[in-house]
Amino acid sequence: MRDAGALDPATLDADVIVVGAGPAGSCAAIVLARAGKRVVLIERGPFPGSKNMYGGVVYPRILDQLIPNWWLEAPVQRWVTRRSTMIMTDDKALTVDFRCEAWGKPPHNGATAFRPDFDAWLADKAVVAGARLICSTTVTGLLHNEAGAVSGVTTDRPDGDLTAAVVIACDGVNSFLAKQEGLYGEFDAANYTLGVKETLALPKETIDERFGVRGTDGVDIEIVGCTGGVNGGGFIYTNLDTIAVGLVLKLPKLAAQKQRPEELIATMKRHPAIAPLVEGAELKEYSAHLIPEAGISMLPTLSGNGMLLAGDAAALCLAAGIWLEGVNFAMASGMYAGEAVVEALRAQDVTVSGLAGYQRRLEATFVLKDHRKLKRAPELVLSDRVQHLYPEFVTSVAERMFRVDNPAPKPGVRRIIAQERKRVGIRRRDLAADGVAGLRSFG
Amino acid sequence: MIAVCLKWVDRRPDPARAIVVAEPDERFAGVSAADQAALEWALRQRDRVGGEVVALTVGPSAAEAILRDASAAGADRAIRIDLAFGAPSRTVATALAGVVGEASTIWCGDYSFDRGTGSVPAFLAHDLGVAQALGLVAVEFTDAGIVALRRLDGGRRERLSITRPAVLSVEGSTALLRRASLRNLLASPIIERVGAGGGHADALHPVEARPYRPRPRVLPAPAGATALDRVRSLTAAGSATAAHGETVTLEPAAAADRILAALVEWGYIP
Repeated sequence: MRDAGALDPATLDADVIVVGAGPAGSCAAIVLARAGKRVVLIERGPFPGSKNMYGGVVYPRILDQLIPNWWLEAPVQRWVTRRSTMIMTDDKALTVDFRCEAWGKPPHNGATAFRPDFDAWLADKAVVAGARLICSTTVTGLLHNEAGAVSGVTTDRPDGDLTAAVVIACDGVNSFLAKQEGLYGEFDAANYTLGVKETLALPKETIDERFGVRGTDGVDIEIVGCTGGVNGGGFIYTNLDTIAVGLVLKLPKLAAQKQRPEELIATMKRHPAIAPLVEGAELKEYSAHLIPEAGISMLPTLSGNGMLLAGDAAALCLAAGIWLEGVNFAMASGMYAGEAVVEALRAQDVTVSGLAGYQRRLEATFVLKDHRKLKRAPELVLSDRVQHLYPEFVTSVAERMFRVDNPAPKPGVRRIIAQERKRVGIRRRDLAADGVAGLRSFG
Repeated sequence: MIAVCLKWVDRRPDPARAIVVAEPDERFAGVSAADQAALEWALRQRDRVGGEVVALTVGPSAAEAILRDASAAGADRAIRIDLAFGAPSRTVATALAGVVGEASTIWCGDYSFDRGTGSVPAFLAHDLGVAQALGLVAVEFTDAGIVALRRLDGGRRERLSITRPAVLSVEGSTALLRRASLRNLLASPIIERVGAGGGHADALHPVEARPYRPRPRVLPAPAGATALDRVRSLTAAGSATAAHGETVTLEPAAAADRILAALVEWGYIP
């Protein structure tokens, strides 16, 4: 469909409306504004990042393309130089700890950040580029032209309809705009986890001492086996003078177990491996947020006539065990959405085919390549065996290996593994199947 | 001309700080509910009797954000008086007086978020030599003009018929600011900038920052031989209460002396 009249700038309030000034929306707005397009970036909160639910690690490498030397100015808390994966049972914990001093120096790798700082900084880049940022305004729906294509948005403000050639919906995990446009299939709660987080205050020196870091170096600890009967995982991230401690919990299991997430966090904080890290900390915040964690299997249709989805609205969040990434996927998808729209506007075609450059870019880059490669990972990582049997198995094997049972001689590792596998109740077949699945996913 | 004075402040006041001198974090900056109510009353007055609403603020360039919001809500003009953040009330009022002299009505909020004392409207009325009605809890437009209800001590209220020109300061509960339309938000208002004329020199330079504590009220020891008597003496429990007041007619200087003597006698000042 080519409708040059519908794209006449004189008849439209803007070339592009970007809904949501999170990482995806701001990156889209930066690209579009730098290309000279009239961009209105609409944010529901009083300022970008004000929702402030996030407590994680940002991997801003993708920003190299948008903001050279971003690390000189990006408002981060700590550069992650230490990554630990902890496998936990009620009374045992096995940790694989990795440290890389180079990550503490430019060009860095990942960083903990407060989203009210990070998002506001990124949105300011869009404003400097020429985008118009409108805050405290909720987009309530989509406008359509006579041909049925998206032609703008309605908002909760008086006189609040706004027309544009393209709408990029970056309105988060529960994207009402995507649902209104029918881009999502049936809603399945199993595709989502509930992320709950406590922000705990501790003096910087205490955090440095407990986590073994100095200066602005930080730690990322991912935990398996800390969620009781609910499938999910745990995390601890160090900020400068706070730590983020939380869980991600699979929704159906959480509902079935009738457990409260804050009680599960409290249980994790009492674990002997965690308690010394959080002792004496003051609770500053508690928040909860849905996370789209089913990977490529839950991706919606990413474009419609006059509309694109990016970031969490497009379910572009990678939850693959050792890789837990979202903000980088949001920034990249926003950036590619912006580029695709510039291309489409140049060609005067904002139909699905005109906007196909978006899907093409996602397919050609890590955004969808990683999702395709790791498509089995979310199911594997959140499976009952990985969540409940393997932590007991792995930690028991470690315990037997490190236990000194004199006068009995040391048993062989193979014997320990065989005995513990039987004791825990893991079938050889399942172990092999999961091993193959793991190799296919992560290999 | 209907003027409305808006103060750009951090909307997350830190009660542990005695004096706020640092510029607000722009993400959390804005105006108090009282200032929003003042703007709403100014707009309602214009809607009823006509004229133009001029929104003013005193502060650095970042304070223009609240003028853009005021313009989006419906203010006809916006003026920023350039002055460093943290200037004392006296300086702010003088700077405002230099611009709003022609206004028939000057609306202010009765306090700001950064533990304001509400003194700017009083100073402003003094500088302009106009009537003042401060701490208003209700406002009504009538054919005769503006009628307002003022809060007094002890839960009492005073009904005022406002003669203009006047400075009115309102509480935040009196009106809810109308929501700005999207079109107005997208418009780019023209913000006039005016120099404050040497106001920078008077900016506050606190030598000590400490938590705010209300001044203690010194009371004489209660009379009475027993604890019960002393409690009765303190609380007047069990006895009929009577107003302790007197009306005197004195020259201003003598009246001031009498007021000070009474405050000492009652223990408000040492």
